[in-house]
Amino acid sequence: MENTINIGIDLGTTNSAIAKFVKGDVIVFNNPLDYGRSTLPSVVYYKKDRIVVGNKAKEYLERDPKNVVGLFKRKMGTSESFQIKSINESKTPVDLSAQILKELKTFVNTGDTLESVVITIPASFDSIQSNATKDAGKQAGFKQVVLLQEPIAASLAYANMKKSKELTDGNWLVYDLGGGTFDVALVRIKDGEMKVVDHEGDNFLGGSDFDRLIVEKLIIPKISEQYTFEDLENQMKSATGKYNAKYYSLLNQAEEAKIRLSAVSSAEIIVERMEDEEGNDVDMEITITKSEFNDLIKDSIDGTIEMIKTILTRNSLTSNDVQFNLMVGGSTFIPFVRQRVEEVLQIPANCEIDPTTAVAIGAAYYAATKQKEISKDKSEKKQSAISIKASYNKASKESDELFAARIKGNTEGLFYKIVRQDGGFDSGLKELSERINEDLPLVENAYNFFTLTVYDGQNNVIETDIEPIGINSGFGISGQPLPEDICLEVDDYDNPGHTRLALIFERNSVLPTKRTLTFPINKPILKGNKSDRLWINVYEGPQTSLPEANKLIGVIEISGKQVSRDIAKGSDLEIAIMISESRDVTVSGYLNMSDQEFKNVFNPKVRDTNITLLKGQVTDLSSKLDEEIELATEKEDYETAGALSKVKKEMEAVADEAESLTDDDVTDKRYQLEDKKRKIAQKIDSATKNKRLQKATDYYYETKASCEELIENSGNDHERKTFNDIVSQESAFMATKSPLKIQEKSDEFHSIIGQIRWRTPDFLKGIFGSLLNNQAKMNDQSQAKSLIDAGGFAIESQNWDRLREINFGLLDLLPRGSKEDITTKIGFGL
Amino acid sequence: MLEPNFKQYKPYFELLDQLFEIERKLENIEESNSISRNLNKMKDIFETNLFSSPTSSEIGFTYHNPIGESYNETRLDLEASIAGNSTENLVIKEVIKPIIRYKSGGSTLIARKGVVVVESKI
Repeated sequence: MENTINIGIDLGTTNSAIAKFVKGDVIVFNNPLDYGRSTLPSVVYYKKDRIVVGNKAKEYLERDPKNVVGLFKRKMGTSESFQIKSINESKTPVDLSAQILKELKTFVNTGDTLESVVITIPASFDSIQSNATKDAGKQAGFKQVVLLQEPIAASLAYANMKKSKELTDGNWLVYDLGGGTFDVALVRIKDGEMKVVDHEGDNFLGGSDFDRLIVEKLIIPKISEQYTFEDLENQMKSATGKYNAKYYSLLNQAEEAKIRLSAVSSAEIIVERMEDEEGNDVDMEITITKSEFNDLIKDSIDGTIEMIKTILTRNSLTSNDVQFNLMVGGSTFIPFVRQRVEEVLQIPANCEIDPTTAVAIGAAYYAATKQKEISKDKSEKKQSAISIKASYNKASKESDELFAARIKGNTEGLFYKIVRQDGGFDSGLKELSERINEDLPLVENAYNFFTLTVYDGQNNVIETDIEPIGINSGFGISGQPLPEDICLEVDDYDNPGHTRLALIFERNSVLPTKRTLTFPINKPILKGNKSDRLWINVYEGPQTSLPEANKLIGVIEISGKQVSRDIAKGSDLEIAIMISESRDVTVSGYLNMSDQEFKNVFNPKVRDTNITLLKGQVTDLSSKLDEEIELATEKEDYETAGALSKVKKEMEAVADEAESLTDDDVTDKRYQLEDKKRKIAQKIDSATKNKRLQKATDYYYETKASCEELIENSGNDHERKTFNDIVSQESAFMATKSPLKIQEKSDEFHSIIGQIRWRTPDFLKGIFGSLLNNQAKMNDQSQAKSLIDAGGFAIESQNWDRLREINFGLLDLLPRGSKEDITTKIGFGL
Repeated sequence: MLEPNFKQYKPYFELLDQLFEIERKLENIEESNSISRNLNKMKDIFETNLFSSPTSSEIGFTYHNPIGESYNETRLDLEASIAGNSTENLVIKEVIKPIIRYKSGGSTLIARKGVVVVESKI
């Protein structure tokens, strides 16, 4: 256990933060409920049944002043208290500060039990105010509270950042301009002792005032100039005004513009979605320049400079006696603030520390030098365990779901909080009782996880037996799983002339579901040409089997007769497939080039069989069958050959029947044929599956071995890792017995092989050699010649990177021939 | 405002904000060039293509326009300014920035809070 305090807290008027000293460094804890921010707005909101602290409370501050309290630090040490309407109680500034401190405890994710802390106070605090701060610490459950003045904390943060722990004797200023308050202190160090000598401040000056000025002095006048409004400013600022909502939207934009102006010289604010009194749509882009903004805040900044002058005069100092002016607080990010103060006072502005967290960081450094003074035997008796029995629907179609729980154990003085794990919901701190209820808001179509945490009166976590609360939204109740894979037929580029299935939705996916894919088409569709066709064929059945063996559940044919213009090869076809809960399949194809959509809905009970497609498939199947028989006979696999020959007879019959079918046949014949065809395909599939599996497996091991060898010789770490990843999955994908899956893995090995080879000199030289032999075929002979010359030189000088480039260049010069001539059936592929 | 892990995606969020703006403007325009199709395609790329690798499950970002939804202090997916006098029955009147969610498989995370103005429903 650490013997030093290590934890520092900046308990600020507008924002607070908590930091910890860890092995020579300080970490500032992030606000777990406000991503990426490490500060907590010092605002507390009391509702009837819960307490909300921080950002959410701040949103309600101006609108619900009877229940929300902020800026209470200014009242520390006074007898004043705040009457809270919703709970009909009054809260003292100490109570409220304790609430902030308790909330800060939840930021600490390092598992520390927080008993001793350093808390910072303004230089202006007298002993009553200081003691009140200590009380707040005690009330929040800290047993030892050490106080530290904010300007000293900031100075410590600076000193530690400089790594020269000893600052030289002398004076400096700490200029703290935050969101809503301003403080300046004169700090003196003498013989190693740091002391605040004097201070001044304005409790009503900060960054939010600058946002307001931008809206009131720049934006509103510019809008009024161009459009007709009667007293726009009042209509915006009054809570009952017509444009009150717009005012807040503009404040938001003003803040963003202010931040941008720290980096660039002008920023735009767009005003739209608003009508003037004559019914004209307001649509303007207002540019705010840096100099406009600087003029706007000049008076306020000059006011702060006056305070510094007062301090200097009071202490009989001149600017020359002050080493630097340490800038703290978010508003000192504004370049003009730094420049103006420096310019007028002639004291260098020191902007080296992060102004928003400096005080907390300094407090943590100080804490690292302070001993803990708590005897161990005093440690609190452990709370008896709480048992929670929860009840809720695990799936829901509502936008929120009621969560109820019964609590066993002593709930007195305990609180709970429910948080959604995506960070979108926080119930606030609520009193724990024997029965609790909470409406949990759900994100649509997602698994929603919530955690319930129980705290004691000082926000220490109490262990319970409750598991995370999981609720599935949207689907789940009536959504049924898909009984089979849903696939799209595509041209098989590895196997020219054939097609394969691409998986769209996996079996057991929950309905409804939807997916959009885009393919470049691999042949042109000429307007009016009936024989130019694209097929969107959606199948139900295992991805691993032959397309013909699966059930066709949706088909769209796009021919040259339907397109409004010629569609070039390579242009995009966008395919969207949607399956509803009742398993209606909606298929649409969209041709980018002609901006045309072809859409159809297929009902699972009504089959739609396209005769042209059927005929084509029967022909394909016949030739495939012949091929397989021949192959099996060649390999002396008589068992397979025999099985296939039996199928052959059926096939011939089907082929004859299909041939006699007219395109507009109205009988059931097409359906019967479709069925027969499917059965034949299934038979071929099962008869040849072993063969395909064997082939894929052999190929896999072969590729694996050559890949392994290459990696050993010239692979890098990344390639080794990719290789090992594939090997580690081996047993899993082999078990699928799917030739396609196994083929995929071989392809992955192949791409590693490719990567390595294109680095190895021998391979590059080999390629170069073969390109040399093809020189005569190249498109641009003079370029080919100069590349070849350069290649020879690259080999001589062993510049392999260069040789690789040259090879690519030469490859480009080869005419695009054979590859492009694949017969394509579907019109797009993988 | 951003979850630390999402900071690197800030430029993408700015792009999504622009898509959101375009989508909102499109609602008021009658046009025959099916711009919304291109827009949806871009949204789809963000949701499924841009950040997914072929070997892992689909991850991506989507945005959500919360206009008209009800609001109270438990909603951490939004940063709200409250207009008007009352704080009861608040609804979202104006959306300055949409909520950006990170999607990975079936679960989601708030990647960036939405920025809105809310007002009591009268």
